[in-house]
Order: sequence, then structure tokens, then C-alpha cells
Amino acid sequence: MKRVIALLLAMLLLAALPACGIAEELPPIKVGCIQDTSGGASIAGQPNEWGVKYAVQYLNDNGGINGRMIELYCRDCQNDTEVGVTAYRELVDEIEVDAIIGPPLSNPASAWVELSAEDEVPIVGHFMDEVCTTDPDTGEAYPYMFLAEPSCSVQSYILAEYAMNELGVKSVATLFNTSNAYAVAHEKPFVSYISAHDGEVLAEETFTWSDTDYSAQAMKIAQLKPDAVLLCDYCNQMVTAYDNLREAGFEGYVLGANTMYPPFNTLIKNKLYNCYFVQNYDLRSGEIADLLAIQMKDTGTDYPTSNVGFGWDATMVLANAMKQANDPTDGPEVREILENNTIEVPSIGGAKITIDPATHRPTREMGMYIATYDADNQVDCLVNMTTDYVAE
Amino acid sequence: MILQILISGISLGSVYALIAVGFAMVYSNLKFSNFAHGGMISACAYIGYYFQNAFSTPPPIWLTILFTALCGVVIALLIDLLAYRRIRKKQAHNLYYFLASITVAILIEQILNVFFGKNTYAFPAVFSSTTFHIAGLRFSSIDTLILGVSLVILAILLGIINRTKIGLAIRTVAINPQTSRLMGINSGVVIMTVFAIAGALAGISGVLLGMRYSVYPSLGQSMMIKGFIASVFGGLGSLSGAILAAVGLGIIEMFLTYFCGALVSPIILFGFMLVFLAVRPEGIFGRFAKDKV
Repeated sequence: MKRVIALLLAMLLLAALPACGIAEELPPIKVGCIQDTSGGASIAGQPNEWGVKYAVQYLNDNGGINGRMIELYCRDCQNDTEVGVTAYRELVDEIEVDAIIGPPLSNPASAWVELSAEDEVPIVGHFMDEVCTTDPDTGEAYPYMFLAEPSCSVQSYILAEYAMNELGVKSVATLFNTSNAYAVAHEKPFVSYISAHDGEVLAEETFTWSDTDYSAQAMKIAQLKPDAVLLCDYCNQMVTAYDNLREAGFEGYVLGANTMYPPFNTLIKNKLYNCYFVQNYDLRSGEIADLLAIQMKDTGTDYPTSNVGFGWDATMVLANAMKQANDPTDGPEVREILENNTIEVPSIGGAKITIDPATHRPTREMGMYIATYDADNQVDCLVNMTTDYVAE
Repeated sequence: MILQILISGISLGSVYALIAVGFAMVYSNLKFSNFAHGGMISACAYIGYYFQNAFSTPPPIWLTILFTALCGVVIALLIDLLAYRRIRKKQAHNLYYFLASITVAILIEQILNVFFGKNTYAFPAVFSSTTFHIAGLRFSSIDTLILGVSLVILAILLGIINRTKIGLAIRTVAINPQTSRLMGINSGVVIMTVFAIAGALAGISGVLLGMRYSVYPSLGQSMMIKGFIASVFGGLGSLSGAILAAVGLGIIEMFLTYFCGALVSPIILFGFMLVFLAVRPEGIFGRFAKDKV
């Protein structure tokens, strides 16, 4: 009888332990963050990383993932594919992270496609080139890769649609960096849209990372007199391309990817006019404006940048899936939820992110702003657009 | 249009010349390519930018260039003290200079990234217009300034090297440091002078390149490949060769890009470089460098 009573008491004690807070705390969830904080795109990578860190802090301050804290491990991929793979291997093999928040860069991210499937580690990021999320040959989604903003193709379709319908553009030329997957992934769909809608593509001029001047290409384009020129690359290269074009005498529309946002307007040497570009958020209002105010004060950054929002959004998409999982450290389970149950996750910019299970990218409801610079060189978001266009 | 391409090529070449002269200066004396030069240029670009913005009324650009050149001298001497002097004392193989220079270049870029990587800056406009026209041809204002400065630098450096005592000492140490020491020349001071000159060049380049492009941590490094190629073409160690080759490189690159496209241009350019080096490995004006070996 004594034994039975002792056993019952022991069971009671065990059952009471969690209520007393004596129970062993659940281990933290390890999340990796790989961003380009020192390479050629550090201007994007650093605010991106800040956005991730701030979002993780916010989540932890508000109970973490169902009571479990997130431990964040940040690594720098230096906009280098090999460095990115090394950072990935360290995070997965040595630190044993449960998921990774990736960079806004397509070059390093494209190298993780197979690795993430082998290791069953979900990756959510802003690598906008579609080859990072779907197989270009089969169109099938890579199982563990997820994008948290409209892809390059969608962004380019939106920009081309606006140019043709609203600006009356009929002929275009492009100037883009062939070494940068992000730039190539913007240019091809743009050209595809223009061609498919009876527009004329007069020239597709290129440059590479090692080029520091695009005057020759700009002179060729200016001679052809297209209605608009599309520029695609990171901000510093966009600045050089814009200046070279204007100095070559081109006065038409200059269209740009979302890297045309500030500090582009502060860096160019020529007069800023006839510029239109895609923009993920209206940075002047709403939650994104509040977040940017904190980031700029915290880091001493002089201008607002969308990348802060990218970092935040990717973290929230991942957190949303982890919160729904029975075991947030179970890669396959989190992957399954990311794929099938990422529905209307609030973006910091006010939109809703719903992942399309077929592509692992946001559905077409998530639009982009078409922005321009006003007379005071400030960003003016004109309209939020979506597109139904799909290239054949 | 051909004339316009030629002018644009000279403009581009003038940018390469700025880098190439810095390379040539150090190589002529120490027989190694100082890749830390790119890092020094980036650091000086930031110094120039902050100096220019430190006053309510921006100082004249020549004052900014002068101040930054002096800062470049300090940085160069510091790098020499920390990275090269011990290698020199041990009379180590040139490979160690090469490794040290690469290490310093990465170090400077990373330091700049940590402290300044969040922002990219632009110098305040110096010219009212980015271009000017003569006889219907378009000239870039800043590139014309850069070319003028490169030529002035060349004239000053050639004057120093050929017509002064320190120049004679530099030439002597370049040929044989040990023998020059036996002849009473303090080779340590001479080498420091060379680094000081290279630092001043980095300071001037930092401001001018920052004015032409933007100020960001990898500014100098991004220009190094073409500058290095120009200094090799010109004959490693030859100052006038470096400038001539740099301008030639700019012109060839501009024509190739215009007529053959940016993708094909590097293939032809680097192919030509291989053939050129096979035929004339010492470069255009490589006699001086050859004499030293």
C-alpha cells in the first residue's frame, strides 16, 4: 500500500512540476540567417539582416514560437556563391539550425536548392530569381525553397505593363548585368512581355561585374532612340548606368528594378527625371515606416530601404509555419506547412503573403508599387499593381 | 561617332591610369604589386567625403584632394609599418609581400564595411554640368579632370624621380637595395618615401573616383583589375607606360564594347593581352623594370 501511495505521490509531483516552472525549459529553435553583409550588395544585405534580427527579437519578446525562443545565427555570404555554401554547411552541419532565412540575392541562394532538399532544411528568403524556387525545366517547385515577395518575372511584367499602358512605351532597350542572376531574371521577362504585346525591343546591352563604365552601351542605346530603357542590377551599377545613359544624350523613360529606390536618387550625378521603377512597399506610411524609423536610428542609416522589410517578412513567413507545426524543428513538417498553409501572412508593408503551393512564391494577389521620383527627388508611389500575365 | 567613342575611351582610360600609376610606383621600387592600393583608395574616398561635408560651406575640391592626399600618406606609412616592414627586414620572398598586400586590402574593406557599409555616399557636385561640348563632341567633366590630374601627377613624379636627389636614391634602391645601402643611401627612408608617394596617389584617386562614382567600401577594389592590367601592359614599374597603357586600354575597351558587345569584348581584350605578353612580356615601357631583375 505504501508503495502505491509513494508511486501516486511521485506521479503527482511530476505532473505538478511544469506548473511550478521547475520543468526543464524547451530548447530554443535554431534559425540561421545568411545575408550579404560585406560583399558587393552589402547595401541591401545589412538592412536585410537588421530586419531579420529585429523580427526575431520581436517574436521572442512576444512568446517566441509557441513558447520556445528563437536563437539566431547570422552569417555573411559576401554575395559569393561559394562563401554562401560554406556558410550554409556551417549552419546546417555544425550549428544544426532548423531553418534558414536567406538573402535577397539569387546567386548564392540558387546553390542551396539541392542542399536544402538533401538536408531537409526549409529556406525562406528574398531571392527573386525564379530558378531559386522552381526548376526551370519542369516548372516544379524545389521542396525546401520559399520566396516571400513577388518574383523578378512578376515584377518585370508589372513594370512592362505599366510602361506600355500608362506611359505609352512602344520600343525599349535594356542594359543589365549578365553576371547577376537577379538582373538577368528581370530582363528576360520584361523583354518577353514587351515582345508579346507587339512592342519593339531595339537592343539588349549587357555588362559584367568587372565593368566600371557602360558608356559604349549607353551610346549605342541613345542612337537607337527607344521610348524607354530598362536598367537591372544593384544600386551602384544602376547609378552608373543611369548617368552613362543621360550623358550619352538619352532623354526617354528609364525603367528600373526595385534597386532604383534610395540611395539611387542621392548618388546620381545627372538630373533625375522620367524614372519609373517597381517598389515593394510605400516606405512613407504604415508599419514599414515605423520599422524604418527604428532601423535608421539604430544603425545610423541615412535613408529608408525596403530590405529592412524583406528581412522582417521572411522571418514572419517562417515563424507562421513554425507556429503551426507540432514540432517547429521538424524540417519536413515546417516545409509542408510553408507550402500548403502559408495563407495571408501580414507583410510589414500592409499586403498579405500567401504562398502558392505550386511555385513556392507569393500568389499574384501580392502586387508591387510603381514608383517615381518627384520634383524634390523623393520617392512617390503611384499605384499598386498586380498582373495576370504568364509567359508561354 | 568614331571620334566620340575615342574621347569616351580616353575618359575611361584616365580612370584606369589613376590606379595604374599607384601600382607602378610601388612596383618600380619593391617589385611587387601592391593590391592594398585599392583598399587605400576606398579609405581615402571616405576621408575626402567626410572632409568635404565637415564644413557648412564645402571647401574647394583642391583643398579636399590635398587633405586626403596627406591622409593617404599617413595610411600608407602605417600599412608599411604594420604589414611590410618586417617582411622587408627579413628579406623574405616577394610572395609574402603579395600575400600581405591582399590581406591588407581585405582588412581595409572589411573595416569600412563594419563602420560605413550601411550607407553609400556621393560627393557634392563640383561641376555645374556632368558633360561639356566642343565642336559637337561630348566630354565628361570629371573624366577630363581625372585625365588632367593623371598627367600632372605623371609630370611631377617624373620630375621627382629624374631630377631630384631623392629620385636618384629611389632609382638606386630600385636597382639594388643592398648595394645602395653600401653606398650610404638609407634604403628604409627611400622605401618609406615611395610608400608615402603611393599613399598620396591613393588619396588623390580616392577623391576623384569617389566624385566619378560613389563612395562605398569596395570602390577601390572594383577598379583594381583594369588598373593592374594597365600597369602590366605599360611595363610593371614604368609610370609613363602605365598611363599610356591605361589610356590605350580604355580606348580599346570602348571600341570593342561598342562594335562587338560587352560579352565578347573581354574575350578579345584578354586574348590580346595573352598574345601581347607572349610577344613583349616586359610591357610597352618595361625596360626599366627589366634592368632591375
